[in-house]
Amino acid sequence: MSRSVWKGPFVDGYLLNKAEASRASGRNEIIRIWSRRSTILPQFIGLTFGVYNGHKFLPVQVNENMVGHKFGEFSPTRTFTGHSADKKAKRG
Amino acid sequence: MPDERILMGVIGRPHGVRGLLHVQSYTADPAALAGYGVLEDERGRRFTLAWQGDGIARIVERRADGDVAVADREAAAALTNTRLYVPRAALPAADEDEYYLADLIGLRAEAADGTVVGRVAIVHDYGAGTSLEIVAEGGGPPLILPFTARAVPVVDIAGGRIVIDPPATTAAEPESEGAQA
Repeated sequence: MSRSVWKGPFVDGYLLNKAEASRASGRNEIIRIWSRRSTILPQFIGLTFGVYNGHKFLPVQVNENMVGHKFGEFSPTRTFTGHSADKKAKRG
Repeated sequence: MPDERILMGVIGRPHGVRGLLHVQSYTADPAALAGYGVLEDERGRRFTLAWQGDGIARIVERRADGDVAVADREAAAALTNTRLYVPRAALPAADEDEYYLADLIGLRAEAADGTVVGRVAIVHDYGAGTSLEIVAEGGGPPLILPFTARAVPVVDIAGGRIVIDPPATTAAEPESEGAQA
Protein backbone atom coordinates (compact mmCIF):
# COMPACT_ATOMS: atom_id res chain seq x y z
CA MET A 1 0.00 0.00 0.00
CA SER A 2 1.38 3.38 -0.93
CA ARG A 3 1.73 6.27 1.47
CA SER A 4 -1.33 8.46 1.99
CA VAL A 5 -1.21 11.62 -0.08
CA TRP A 6 -2.43 13.87 2.73
CA LYS A 7 0.74 13.14 4.72
CA GLY A 8 3.03 14.49 2.04
CA PRO A 9 6.42 12.98 1.24
CA PHE A 10 8.55 11.87 4.16
CA VAL A 11 11.85 13.63 4.69
CA ASP A 12 13.90 13.97 7.84
CA GLY A 13 13.55 17.54 9.04
CA TYR A 14 17.20 18.05 9.86
CA LEU A 15 18.05 17.06 6.31
CA LEU A 16 15.70 19.65 4.89
CA ASN A 17 17.20 22.33 7.11
CA LYS A 18 20.73 21.36 6.14
CA ALA A 19 19.91 21.40 2.45
CA GLU A 20 18.35 24.83 2.71
CA ALA A 21 21.37 26.14 4.61
CA SER A 22 23.73 24.68 2.03
CA ARG A 23 21.80 26.19 -0.83
CA ALA A 24 21.71 29.57 0.88
CA SER A 25 25.47 29.51 1.47
CA GLY A 26 26.12 28.81 -2.24
CA ARG A 27 29.12 26.66 -1.38
CA ASN A 28 30.14 23.66 -3.41
CA GLU A 29 29.91 20.97 -0.78
CA ILE A 30 28.81 17.41 -0.31
CA ILE A 31 26.21 16.94 2.40
CA ARG A 32 26.85 13.63 4.09
CA ILE A 33 23.63 11.94 5.12
CA TRP A 34 22.63 8.70 6.72
CA SER A 35 18.94 9.21 5.99
CA ARG A 36 18.43 6.81 3.12
CA ARG A 37 14.71 6.80 3.85
CA SER A 38 14.15 10.45 3.01
CA THR A 39 12.31 11.35 -0.17
CA ILE A 40 14.13 13.55 -2.67
CA LEU A 41 12.27 16.85 -2.86
CA PRO A 42 12.38 19.52 -5.58
CA GLN A 43 14.31 21.74 -3.13
CA PHE A 44 17.26 19.32 -3.38
CA ILE A 45 17.78 19.67 -7.13
CA GLY A 46 21.32 20.76 -7.91
CA LEU A 47 22.75 19.74 -4.53
CA THR A 48 25.14 16.85 -4.01
CA PHE A 49 24.61 14.47 -1.12
CA GLY A 50 26.93 11.78 0.13
CA VAL A 51 24.54 8.95 0.95
CA TYR A 52 25.87 6.35 3.36
CA ASN A 53 25.56 2.75 2.23
CA GLY A 54 27.02 1.14 5.32
CA HIS A 55 30.60 1.50 4.09
CA LYS A 56 30.99 4.70 2.13
CA PHE A 57 29.27 7.96 1.36
CA LEU A 58 28.44 7.72 -2.34
CA PRO A 59 27.89 11.08 -4.06
CA VAL A 60 24.34 11.59 -5.31
CA GLN A 61 23.94 14.56 -7.63
CA VAL A 62 20.25 15.36 -7.46
CA ASN A 63 18.43 16.20 -10.68
CA GLU A 64 14.78 16.63 -11.53
CA ASN A 65 14.34 13.01 -12.59
CA MET A 66 15.14 11.83 -9.07
CA VAL A 67 12.38 13.76 -7.31
CA GLY A 68 10.04 11.40 -5.49
CA HIS A 69 12.60 8.64 -5.11
CA LYS A 70 14.39 7.84 -1.86
CA PHE A 71 18.05 8.69 -1.35
CA GLY A 72 18.85 5.08 -0.60
CA GLU A 73 17.88 4.01 -4.10
CA PHE A 74 21.01 5.68 -5.46
CA SER A 75 23.49 4.25 -2.99
CA PRO A 76 23.41 0.46 -3.21
CA THR A 77 24.38 -1.50 -0.13
CA ARG A 78 25.41 -4.69 -1.90
CA THR A 79 28.65 -5.36 -3.70
CA PHE A 80 28.42 -4.34 -7.33
CA THR A 81 30.27 -6.70 -9.65
CA GLY A 82 31.05 -4.19 -12.36
CA HIS A 83 29.77 -1.96 -15.09
CA SER A 84 29.64 -3.06 -18.70
CA ALA A 85 32.88 -3.24 -20.62
CA ASP A 86 32.12 -0.41 -23.01
CA LYS A 87 30.30 1.84 -20.55
CA LYS A 88 31.12 5.51 -20.74
CA ALA A 89 30.93 8.25 -18.13
CA LYS A 90 30.06 11.82 -18.96
CA ARG A 91 31.67 14.47 -16.81
CA GLY A 92 28.91 16.51 -15.19
CA MET B 1 45.12 5.83 -24.85
CA PRO B 2 46.15 2.78 -22.87
CA ASP B 3 47.38 -0.14 -24.95
CA GLU B 4 45.32 -2.88 -23.42
CA ARG B 5 42.50 -5.29 -24.06
CA ILE B 6 39.00 -4.95 -22.70
CA LEU B 7 37.04 -7.98 -21.50
CA MET B 8 33.83 -7.97 -23.51
CA GLY B 9 32.28 -11.31 -22.71
CA VAL B 10 32.65 -14.90 -21.60
CA ILE B 11 31.63 -18.06 -23.42
CA GLY B 12 29.33 -20.16 -21.29
CA ARG B 13 27.92 -23.65 -21.45
CA PRO B 14 27.03 -25.49 -24.66
CA HIS B 15 23.50 -25.29 -25.97
CA GLY B 16 22.24 -28.38 -27.75
CA VAL B 17 24.36 -30.72 -29.85
CA ARG B 18 25.11 -28.53 -32.85
CA GLY B 19 27.89 -26.43 -31.38
CA LEU B 20 25.87 -23.49 -30.13
CA LEU B 21 27.02 -21.81 -26.96
CA HIS B 22 25.67 -19.47 -24.34
CA VAL B 23 27.67 -16.26 -24.33
CA GLN B 24 27.63 -13.74 -21.50
CA SER B 25 28.05 -10.31 -23.05
CA TYR B 26 29.46 -7.46 -20.96
CA THR B 27 28.63 -4.73 -23.45
CA ALA B 28 26.00 -2.13 -22.60
CA ASP B 29 23.84 -3.57 -25.37
CA PRO B 30 24.45 -7.33 -25.21
CA ALA B 31 23.78 -7.77 -28.92
CA ALA B 32 26.58 -5.32 -29.73
CA LEU B 33 29.23 -7.91 -28.87
CA ALA B 34 29.00 -9.49 -32.31
CA GLY B 35 29.52 -6.07 -33.89
CA TYR B 36 33.05 -5.81 -32.53
CA GLY B 37 34.21 -8.33 -35.12
CA VAL B 38 37.10 -10.54 -34.16
CA LEU B 39 37.38 -11.30 -30.45
CA GLU B 40 40.48 -12.77 -28.82
CA ASP B 41 41.06 -14.93 -25.80
CA GLU B 42 44.05 -14.97 -23.43
CA ARG B 43 45.90 -17.45 -25.66
CA GLY B 44 45.55 -15.33 -28.77
CA ARG B 45 42.89 -17.47 -30.41
CA ARG B 46 40.51 -15.40 -32.51
CA PHE B 47 36.76 -15.85 -32.72
CA THR B 48 33.72 -14.33 -34.34
CA LEU B 49 30.22 -14.97 -33.18
CA ALA B 50 26.74 -14.71 -34.62
CA TRP B 51 23.75 -14.54 -32.31
CA GLN B 52 21.24 -17.32 -32.82
CA GLY B 53 18.85 -16.44 -30.04
CA ASP B 54 18.66 -14.96 -26.60
CA GLY B 55 22.24 -15.17 -25.34
CA ILE B 56 23.04 -18.10 -27.64
CA ALA B 57 25.61 -17.77 -30.38
CA ARG B 58 27.33 -19.72 -33.10
CA ILE B 59 31.08 -19.30 -32.80
CA VAL B 60 33.69 -19.56 -35.50
CA GLU B 61 37.38 -19.78 -34.70
CA ARG B 62 39.49 -17.73 -37.10
CA ARG B 63 42.72 -19.63 -37.70
CA ALA B 64 45.58 -18.83 -40.03
CA ASP B 65 44.74 -21.93 -42.08
CA GLY B 66 41.05 -21.09 -42.34
CA ASP B 67 37.92 -20.63 -40.34
CA VAL B 68 36.66 -23.48 -38.17
CA ALA B 69 33.08 -23.39 -36.98
CA VAL B 70 32.22 -25.00 -33.67
CA ALA B 71 30.06 -27.82 -34.95
CA ASP B 72 29.37 -30.20 -32.09
CA ARG B 73 28.79 -30.23 -28.38
CA GLU B 74 32.26 -31.55 -27.47
CA ALA B 75 33.99 -28.75 -29.35
CA ALA B 76 31.59 -26.26 -27.77
CA ALA B 77 32.25 -27.58 -24.27
CA ALA B 78 35.98 -27.08 -24.80
CA LEU B 79 35.36 -23.34 -25.17
CA THR B 80 33.36 -22.92 -21.99
CA ASN B 81 34.76 -20.16 -19.75
CA THR B 82 36.80 -18.65 -22.57
CA ARG B 83 37.09 -14.93 -22.04
CA LEU B 84 36.63 -12.73 -25.07
CA TYR B 85 38.61 -9.50 -25.43
CA VAL B 86 38.91 -6.69 -27.91
CA PRO B 87 41.76 -4.19 -28.13
CA ARG B 88 40.95 -0.92 -26.42
CA ALA B 89 41.46 0.81 -29.78
CA ALA B 90 38.51 -1.14 -31.21
CA LEU B 91 36.03 0.76 -29.05
CA PRO B 92 34.43 3.72 -30.85
CA ALA B 93 35.65 7.17 -29.91
CA ALA B 94 33.83 8.72 -26.98
CA ASP B 95 32.11 12.07 -27.27
CA GLU B 96 33.55 15.24 -25.88
CA ASP B 97 33.77 15.17 -22.08
CA GLU B 98 32.81 11.50 -22.14
CA TYR B 99 35.21 8.77 -21.08
CA TYR B 100 35.23 5.02 -21.01
CA LEU B 101 35.24 3.70 -17.48
CA ALA B 102 38.07 1.40 -18.50
CA ASP B 103 40.16 4.48 -19.30
CA LEU B 104 39.43 6.22 -16.02
CA ILE B 105 40.32 3.31 -13.77
CA GLY B 106 43.98 3.41 -12.84
CA LEU B 107 44.56 7.08 -13.58
CA ARG B 108 46.83 8.93 -11.16
CA ALA B 109 44.94 11.54 -9.14
CA GLU B 110 46.84 14.72 -8.43
CA ALA B 111 45.98 17.81 -6.46
CA ALA B 112 46.21 21.19 -8.17
CA ASP B 113 49.77 21.64 -6.88
CA GLY B 114 50.87 18.33 -8.42
CA THR B 115 50.82 16.30 -5.22
CA VAL B 116 49.84 12.70 -5.93
CA VAL B 117 46.70 11.82 -3.98
CA GLY B 118 46.22 8.27 -5.19
CA ARG B 119 44.78 6.32 -8.08
CA VAL B 120 41.27 5.89 -9.42
CA ALA B 121 40.22 2.47 -8.17
CA ILE B 122 36.48 2.36 -8.86
CA VAL B 123 34.04 4.36 -10.95
CA HIS B 124 30.59 4.43 -9.35
CA ASP B 125 27.49 5.11 -11.40
CA TYR B 126 24.18 4.09 -9.90
CA GLY B 127 21.93 6.57 -11.66
CA ALA B 128 22.84 9.65 -9.64
CA GLY B 129 25.89 10.86 -11.53
CA THR B 130 29.28 9.31 -11.92
CA SER B 131 31.74 9.42 -9.03
CA LEU B 132 35.35 8.37 -8.72
CA GLU B 133 36.79 6.43 -5.82
CA ILE B 134 40.42 7.32 -5.29
CA VAL B 135 42.59 5.11 -3.15
CA ALA B 136 45.83 6.44 -1.68
CA GLU B 137 48.81 4.28 -2.53
CA GLY B 138 49.86 4.20 1.11
CA GLY B 139 46.44 2.97 2.21
CA GLY B 140 43.88 4.84 4.24
CA PRO B 141 40.24 5.60 3.63
CA PRO B 142 39.23 6.14 0.01
CA LEU B 143 38.32 9.55 -1.32
CA ILE B 144 35.06 9.54 -3.28
CA LEU B 145 34.23 12.60 -5.31
CA PRO B 146 31.67 13.38 -8.01
CA PHE B 147 32.93 13.27 -11.58
CA THR B 148 32.18 16.88 -12.40
CA ALA B 149 34.19 19.59 -14.10
CA ARG B 150 34.42 21.37 -10.77
CA ALA B 151 35.72 18.42 -8.75
CA VAL B 152 37.81 16.95 -11.58
CA PRO B 153 38.90 19.92 -13.69
CA VAL B 154 41.52 18.03 -15.71
CA VAL B 155 41.22 14.57 -17.26
CA ASP B 156 44.38 13.63 -19.13
CA ILE B 157 43.92 10.07 -20.38
CA ALA B 158 47.07 10.15 -22.50
CA GLY B 159 49.08 11.44 -19.56
CA GLY B 160 47.51 8.91 -17.21
CA ARG B 161 46.36 11.49 -14.70
CA ILE B 162 43.47 13.57 -13.44
CA VAL B 163 43.62 16.73 -11.38
CA ILE B 164 41.14 16.84 -8.55
CA ASP B 165 39.67 19.57 -6.42
CA PRO B 166 37.67 17.71 -3.77
CA PRO B 167 34.60 19.59 -2.58
CA ALA B 168 34.13 20.31 1.10
CA THR B 169 31.92 17.93 3.03
CA THR B 170 29.44 18.64 5.76
CA ALA B 171 27.33 16.21 7.73
CA ALA B 172 23.58 16.37 8.25
CA GLU B 173 23.01 14.56 11.52
CA PRO B 174 19.85 14.40 13.59
CA GLU B 175 21.74 15.22 16.79
CA SER B 176 23.02 18.48 15.41
CA GLU B 177 19.76 19.78 14.00
CA GLY B 178 17.03 18.51 16.27
CA ALA B 179 13.73 16.77 15.71
CA GLN B 180 12.44 14.97 12.67
CA ALA B 181 9.55 16.11 10.51
